[in-house]
Amino acid sequence: MNFEVYNRDLCVHNIEITGVTSSSMVFVGDTNTIQLASIFDTPPESLIIGPFVPLQPEVTG
Amino acid sequence: MFQRTSYVDNIHVKSISYSSIFQIGDSHYIYQLSRAIAVQREAEIYYDNEGEFSNYRVFTQPIHFEPIDEPISIQQHQLHPIIKVNNMNITGLSSSSMLNIGSSKHLSLEARVKHIRQIFPKENEHNSNS
Repeated sequence: MNFEVYNRDLCVHNIEITGVTSSSMVFVGDTNTIQLASIFDTPPESLIIGPFVPLQPEVTG
Repeated sequence: MFQRTSYVDNIHVKSISYSSIFQIGDSHYIYQLSRAIAVQREAEIYYDNEGEFSNYRVFTQPIHFEPIDEPISIQQHQLHPIIKVNNMNITGLSSSSMLNIGSSKHLSLEARVKHIRQIFPKENEHNSNS
């Protein structure tokens, strides 16, 4: 595949962004490759109704 | 590869958190990873030393990317090698996100979030069950 690009004037006056989150990006420049991945898990069983049980403790060491 | 110069007059960022980057300048390779167990409880109860990432599949399951080996022949002609932005206003950057002014070769960002909610049983439901 042949891809030919002519980069002429590129000028942006104003960028207004409220939030950039969970492996997203704002990029002003050139790059070869970008890989972005995000997993957000909130299944029905993660809604626990009842007495507050602590999560399993962190295993250290 | 001949890259363009990024030129930003004015940047305003309010907050940057959790493996996020605000970078001015060029880089070759960037890798960011953020893992979070987000627990919401109806009451303000905090336990010490809580939460083990390996107990949740969301933190261990592999993410498969397409291999970066496509044979593409790119010819760039930089007739005006400047990217100009006058004004940038960003309220928040969070969870392995980035704001980059400059050029890079490879960027890889990853965020994994497990969201758990713990709430009280409703008063009326409790009465009807008993």
